[in-house]
Amino acid sequence: MAGSQGRGRAAYTFNIEAVGFGRGEKLPDVVLKPPPLFPDTDYKPVPLKAGEGEDYMLALKQELRETMKRMPYYIETPEEKQDIERYSKRYMKVYKEEWIPDWRRLPREMMPRKKCKKAGPKSEKVKDMGKGASLTNTADVLKKIEELEKRGDGEKSDEENEEKEGGKEKSQEGDEEDDAAAEQEEYDEEEQEEENDYINSYFEDGDDFGADSDDNMDEATY
Amino acid sequence: MTQAEIKLCSLLLQEHFGEIVEKIGVHLIRTGSQPLRVIAHDTGTSLDQVKKALCVLIQHNLVIYQVHKRGVVEYEAQCSRVLRMLRYPRYIYTAKTLYSDTGELIVEELLLNGKMTMSAVVKKVADRLTETMEDGKTMDYAEVSNTFVRLADTHFVQRCPWVPATENSDPGPPPPAPILVISEKDMYLVPKLSLIGKGKRRRSSDEDAAGEPKAKRPKYGTDNKEPIPDDGIYWQANLDRFHQHFRDQAIVSAVANRMDQFTFQTQTSSEVVRTMLRMSEITTPSTDPFTQPLSSNEIFRSLPVGYNISKQVLDQYLTLLADDPLEFVGKSGDSGGGMYVINLHKALGSLATATLESVVQERFGSRCARIFRLVLQKKHLEQKQVEDFAMIPAKEAKDMLYKMLSGNFISLQEIPKTPDHAPSRTFYLYTVNILSAARMLLHRCYKSIANLIERRQFETKENKRLLEKSQRVEAIIASMQATGAEEVQLQEIEEMITAPERQQLETLKRNVNKLDASEIQVDETIFLLESYIESTMKRQ
Repeated sequence: MAGSQGRGRAAYTFNIEAVGFGRGEKLPDVVLKPPPLFPDTDYKPVPLKAGEGEDYMLALKQELRETMKRMPYYIETPEEKQDIERYSKRYMKVYKEEWIPDWRRLPREMMPRKKCKKAGPKSEKVKDMGKGASLTNTADVLKKIEELEKRGDGEKSDEENEEKEGGKEKSQEGDEEDDAAAEQEEYDEEEQEEENDYINSYFEDGDDFGADSDDNMDEATY
Repeated sequence: MTQAEIKLCSLLLQEHFGEIVEKIGVHLIRTGSQPLRVIAHDTGTSLDQVKKALCVLIQHNLVIYQVHKRGVVEYEAQCSRVLRMLRYPRYIYTAKTLYSDTGELIVEELLLNGKMTMSAVVKKVADRLTETMEDGKTMDYAEVSNTFVRLADTHFVQRCPWVPATENSDPGPPPPAPILVISEKDMYLVPKLSLIGKGKRRRSSDEDAAGEPKAKRPKYGTDNKEPIPDDGIYWQANLDRFHQHFRDQAIVSAVANRMDQFTFQTQTSSEVVRTMLRMSEITTPSTDPFTQPLSSNEIFRSLPVGYNISKQVLDQYLTLLADDPLEFVGKSGDSGGGMYVINLHKALGSLATATLESVVQERFGSRCARIFRLVLQKKHLEQKQVEDFAMIPAKEAKDMLYKMLSGNFISLQEIPKTPDHAPSRTFYLYTVNILSAARMLLHRCYKSIANLIERRQFETKENKRLLEKSQRVEAIIASMQATGAEEVQLQEIEEMITAPERQQLETLKRNVNKLDASEIQVDETIFLLESYIESTMKRQ
């Protein structure tokens, strides 16, 4: 309200003496910025406790830190490849034991569901393939199928169909990778892999190389 | 959970379990309980990795699961349990002091693995102990089993809840998650096992082939072909029991510091208090404010053998303890020669207050500490009264009070004289609210440890190149020694690390040691403050 402006005079609404400043005394400066990140301390800290127990606990702590890194519970993030392969790296690799939890104590959804008979690295790779070819390729695959159907290329579209089915299945069931793994297992990937040395992705989806030539020639392709 | 706690949990999880587990764990701590798919979606990690991370976290008792309606399983993280990881060295060291190396290794294995069966623990510990013994000697399983049984009897290890054996009478689908139960009386029941065997020493031929992966690397848990006799019975370390032990240690040392400086007989009063605490170990739950009343006769009978003080002297000590203003020991009756209790809650309060006083002294100076103790004693004081009682000039007293006020050690209490709370007609009294000051200090401790860990990681990262180099040199030297190399060659390799680099490594080691030791010490303060806060909250 206008009445409480103080009529041009500075006046406090409370008894300034109660807070400890005398009348007319100079008030301390207003602080305009946050306190410094590493303020100077007037009093240096007391030295740390030293003793047999403390030394032992220190050694224990450092040992535990190293040990934990080697346990199977430490899940490492996949590293980028080093530019130079060092000789001594061979001697420093730590081989971890695998840990299998007691499934009876955990919820059923924790178990990795493996329907495929071939467990291990093969299914891993197949899963990766499945993941890669999943949702991103569904739209492309559908388009390509339409194109190819127009062209009337029966053989290729069969492969495409299988992949498309795999992709569709995946999108329907969300992240059920294991089902996709089972699905992709039907795909020829593994057989192709064993027969030749070529990387699978060498032959792109839209490539007509293999399909056309098989129709005409009986001799081997170069 | 406060930001400081979450940050500290994040650092601890990352150091111990890697980044993936850290991401999942911190997400759960932040958001509370969530089902599996939501976690995967929110953190953007694959379902497979989320499952692995959750398995690890559940194994280490950091995450629990609950089945909700419609069969949805939700996972919840226990932030306070994550913070206990700081205290692992202290638990292991305590086990060493109480049960020597065998006990130490048992507790260490249990803490590192979360849960284990008794047979697995015994086997592993026997193997480890055999490694350290001289050639030809081995550690017998029976000895390790005995120590395990003793640990279980004194409640330092306990059984984990397990799946009850159902009769399978209900034909419905199995539940999405097992419901784990445990009853009080079964918690420390050791299964009747006859573990016969000796520890095995790892053969030196294994060391040579360390570079190549062995053809059949034994999988954890499937090492033995015979069925495990105590399958499904898992044990974990009982952290509450360790905390009770630490609390007892703190009380005994406080009494010793206070009362035993001037007596000729070494540490009698602390010995009396220790006896009383030992007698109440199993009978009194650790969260009670008082122990059960103990009669002076009982205490006399329970004093350690070889401690020969007469009954009268004991009575004198008890009276002295009960009359002390610290009020650790109280007299609750006169039967049986005098009934005495230990005021656990008061003891914790005194310890927390002493911690606060010490912090004020070290941070602001001894005159501030004098003002602080004054306000503590008198409960509420005005500005003017503080100056008078503390005998400190007005300007300085004012300055100190405001420093403490802005640090939240002291707070202001308003007492209005008139209903309109006009500032000119209100008393402003300074007071110390111990609970809130303790909370503030605890929060600060969490921040401190987080800073310490970050600094240690920074120092290690700065010198990463140098550390890797020295590790490589060591690996090369080790491999050369194994294949038999001359002294000259070894010298040459060692000189790959120059003198200034050695200096740098020394400095790094010293700094890292200092930071680690600081972490351990701050954790002691955290323990005291947390115990006090917990005890206070239970009483309200």
